[in-house]
Order: sequence, then C-alpha cells, then structure tokens
Amino acid sequence: MLELLSNFSQITGIYWFMNSPWGWPVAESIHFFGLCLLLGTVGVFDLRMLGMANGLSYEALHKLVPWGVVGYLLNVTTGTMFLTTSPDQYLFNPAFQTKLFFMLIAGLNMLLFYFTTAAAVKSTPAIITLPNRARTIAAISLLCWCGVIVCGRLITYFRPPYHWCFWC
Amino acid sequence: MAFVVGINVAVGLRLVGIAPKIPLQRIINFYPLHWYCSIAILVSGLALLAAYPAKALTNPVFYLKLTALIIGLGLSRYFQLKLQVEQSTIDEKKLKLLGALSLLLWVITITAGRFLAYTHNTLLASRFY
Repeated sequence: MLELLSNFSQITGIYWFMNSPWGWPVAESIHFFGLCLLLGTVGVFDLRMLGMANGLSYEALHKLVPWGVVGYLLNVTTGTMFLTTSPDQYLFNPAFQTKLFFMLIAGLNMLLFYFTTAAAVKSTPAIITLPNRARTIAAISLLCWCGVIVCGRLITYFRPPYHWCFWC
Repeated sequence: MAFVVGINVAVGLRLVGIAPKIPLQRIINFYPLHWYCSIAILVSGLALLAAYPAKALTNPVFYLKLTALIIGLGLSRYFQLKLQVEQSTIDEKKLKLLGALSLLLWVITITAGRFLAYTHNTLLASRFY
C-alpha cells in the first residue's frame, strides 16, 4: 500500500510539487478553503435544518450546496496529495484514521438524506420546522464535519510511531 | 475559524449572484453564530500569540493575515447592518463588489494563516537578548 501510494505520487509529479518550497502550504491553503466552502454551504444548510435562520427557504439555501461539492473535491484532491507524498505519516496515524471514519459516516449520512429526506425538506415551507428525522441527519452531518476538521488538525500532533493506537 | 469563514463564504456567494433566490434579509440570521465563533478565534488566536509572540510579531505575513481578518470582519458587520433594510433600497452592484472583496479577503486570511507556519524566521523572543 505504501509503495503503491508513493509510486503514484512520484509518477504524477505530486511528490515533486509537494516538496517544492511552497508546495505543501499552497495545498494546505486550498484544503482549508475547501473545508470552508463545505462548511459554508453544507454546514450552513445543516444549521438551517436544525432551525437556525428561521424563515429562510430550504430550497433556495440548498442551491449553495453544489459549491460544497466543489469544496469537497478540492479537499479530496489536496488530501490525496498529502497522503501520497507521505503515506507512512497518514496510514498509521490514529487522527487520520478517525478523520476517514467521520468522512465515511458523513458520506453515508448524505446518501441517507438524499434517498429519504431531501425532496421533502426542499418542498417544506420556510416557516415550518422540519421533522426529527431531518434534524437528526443535519446534526450528524454537522458533527461529522466538525470531527473531520478537528482530526485534520490533530494529524500533525500524532505522528507514528510515537503515539500508540490499538489498530496500528 | 471554519464557521466564521464558512458563513462569510455563504453570504459572499449569495452577494456575487449565486443562488439569487436566497433572501438577503434572512441569510444574515447566521451572523450571531458567526460572532460567537469570532470570539472563539480571538481567544484561541491570542493564546497562540501569547505562546510564541516573537514568531508571529516578527513575521510580515502575520500582519497581512491580521489586516485581511479585521477588514473581513468589518465587512461582515457592514453586511449584517446593511442587509437588514428592505431589499429594494439596496445597491446590488456595490454589494456584489463588496461580496467579491469579502471572499478575496477570506482567501487571503486562510492562505496567510497557513503560510505563517512556513515563513517565520524567529521562534523565541530570547533570540533578541
């Protein structure tokens, strides 16, 4: 796995870019801006579903969500750049593993939302409070993205092999 | 920080013309959360500054971040006050420009913030004595 990721980084030129003088901070800046796009659109929509900004149309606010997808794609791209450049610093890192876990839950939660609840939410008048199911999905989404951010910051402070984790 | 920038990104995107059906007078209802989170970044920022004052204060990038942050927060306050009035009385063109400026300022704040870790040339104040 390590070799595979490293080879990918070398072949694609990612390794060269990330080890150039400003490669890493540029990728980090884009990564953080992607997260802000995600939180500013998906996170804000979650807050709305939880009852904040009462009177703001669910359907209209949902129009911002495609920008959250742009943010997510920025994050996946830059995240892949980090991972493939230093795979040993991520694969065995408990903070990174927890971050991936939160991303998985957020992804499954999003699928649940779009398959079961999204249509009803978008057609709900702005002054109506959403049912508990939609509010629970929003709360899980928001918690997961906050978890992703916190774990992302913690990656720097839990470098293997200095910190033990039971699954490493 | 992500909530502060995120809410400003949502307002900024709306002001530059994305999702025009979002009523401006309603989107500002997210600003109270924005200001609570701003207090959190002020406290955590001061703690980080207190931990390594020389590292930040000797780095020009720190002042760039601080300037962009202060102007960005000033614009947030302006939007919050300005968008409370009737939408018909709002100069949309001016707001569009300010929305774009706000987005740019938050990109600068984030980028400068990340570059702080890579551009400092002094870590401890003891270097000076």
